[in-house]
Amino acid sequence: MRRSTRRPPLPVVLVIHAIVWLLALTMLAPFAWMVITSLKTDAEAQAALSFSTLLPDTPVWGNYARAMREAELGRFYANSLIVALATMFLAVAHNALAGYAFAKLRFRGKRILFGATLLTMMLPAQVFFIFAYIIAGRLGYVDNLQSMIVPFLASGFGVFYLRQAITTVPEALLEAGRLDGMREIDLFWLVARPIVWPAISALAIFTFVNSWNNFFWPLIVVDSEQFKTLPLAIADLSAGLYVQSWPVQMAAATILVLPLVIVFFLLQRAFVRGVALTGMKE
Amino acid sequence: MRQATHSGPMRSSLSGWAFIAFPLTVLMVFTLLPTVAGLALSFFQWDGAGLPRWVGLENFRGLLADGNFGPALRNTVIYVVAAIAPAVFIAFLVSIAVHARWFRGKAIVRTLLFMPTIVSIVAIGFVWRWVLDDRSGLLNFGLELVGVKDTPSWLNDDWWPFIWIVIISVWRHIGFCLVLYLAALSTVNESLYDAAEVDGASRAQVIRHITWPQVMPTTIFLLVTGVISAFQVFDIVFIMTGQQENSYTNVLNLMTYREFTYGQLGYAAAIGAVIFALTLVATFLQLGAVRWIDRRAPRPARGPTFRGGKP
Repeated sequence: MRRSTRRPPLPVVLVIHAIVWLLALTMLAPFAWMVITSLKTDAEAQAALSFSTLLPDTPVWGNYARAMREAELGRFYANSLIVALATMFLAVAHNALAGYAFAKLRFRGKRILFGATLLTMMLPAQVFFIFAYIIAGRLGYVDNLQSMIVPFLASGFGVFYLRQAITTVPEALLEAGRLDGMREIDLFWLVARPIVWPAISALAIFTFVNSWNNFFWPLIVVDSEQFKTLPLAIADLSAGLYVQSWPVQMAAATILVLPLVIVFFLLQRAFVRGVALTGMKE
Repeated sequence: MRQATHSGPMRSSLSGWAFIAFPLTVLMVFTLLPTVAGLALSFFQWDGAGLPRWVGLENFRGLLADGNFGPALRNTVIYVVAAIAPAVFIAFLVSIAVHARWFRGKAIVRTLLFMPTIVSIVAIGFVWRWVLDDRSGLLNFGLELVGVKDTPSWLNDDWWPFIWIVIISVWRHIGFCLVLYLAALSTVNESLYDAAEVDGASRAQVIRHITWPQVMPTTIFLLVTGVISAFQVFDIVFIMTGQQENSYTNVLNLMTYREFTYGQLGYAAAIGAVIFALTLVATFLQLGAVRWIDRRAPRPARGPTFRGGKP
């Protein structure tokens, strides 16, 4: 595809490159600073900063061992993974089924139920979290891993998004299947699913990241150390709950942040396409 | 054909209900009903045990008298205005540069700018606190290199923590907006640019009269959804202030959370209702503005039909 053929004068091109690249590098700076600090001694980290104290003399890898020992990072990791993966698989499956029903099936009350689904997209958490918490409590979904999964097993946005995608599946394909005696669940799985797979994977990434980074709801429903997820752990960390030493805190933060960043760099095409497709927001 | 679709509905009806039963139940139980109940609760006093007591508008009157409410409302509104539009506008400008043919490193820039979007705000706030540290922070080191000394205490002095909350929010949000703008730019019909070049339009005129209107739907989407989520700001303030409440940094959502943890559920619900009302008003104002602008100057249709310009 052709873009504008005209190139601005060279100095302008260079200045624009400098500005944009500098902006891009500021995205790395805090994380680079985090990793550098995690390898310093306490004294080095607290010294007034100069060129001689910018980098650690000898990297203190022991900070990572201390971080693992003093805060139960392994458990927080496992919790976050279980919650985000379970939410992703179950929520996408349920949203897809509902999306299929709203796009391709006829049933009583469809229009009003779809309207209600759209409405839930606009309702702010500040109003519904109070009773969501009370209801979750009655159902036993408080202070356990399920409490961070079950309320997110359907989303108005997810249903709406997949419904829009599934609408593009040709009706003739489904009719042919029906004449062959296929059940709707088979039609969904064998006909619709492969066609809308890009939309499904985009929603899956979106759901995973949202669940992984969710903070407000876990803060409310989880009390016990053993069920905390990474964002809660980082909040405790920053409040100085586990260790006081900055390098060890930064080592812990590195352990908590870096793997997702690496996964992101490996899968960045899929992530970026997912966002462009869903227009996701947090 | 008619026959086939006629035998369908009964069977479909059952499958339809089966497919939506669980997701709709979840939405009903955890979103829809709690919203209705939450709005109603703002007229009651309740600590979560026993029966709620009807107090009419007492909670809202209490808010007006509450010394925390004014600053929290003011800060929330400032945040909404200062954090969203700048990020959207910067992303628009960056997207034009990055989309241009002569730009080098498009993929890397896009990836780097987008990266903070996938890192939790909590982690970002935490890392930034260390960057902003008075003695050993990276920022003060950099400022000293360029000769700026005697900087304020970024995380403690008056408005500075809040200013940094806004800056970090903008900084984090640019990449997300950029990705949507780049997606929108890739769908703009190239012949529009050619036509403008033939007409002798300057680069600024092309951006102003072709690119900007063509990506207007993306801009509107980013502004409207951005403003809605900005009214709910919580994580970044919670983490940057170390959970200390003061009138320079307090926001409405932090107040809701605080009252909730104090067991003042009716009062918390009233603040939630205020946030909801503000969100609705802001959304209608924005959509109204869009319609008003449209009436004054109709937006060119997307694609090749641009003001009769032939592809």
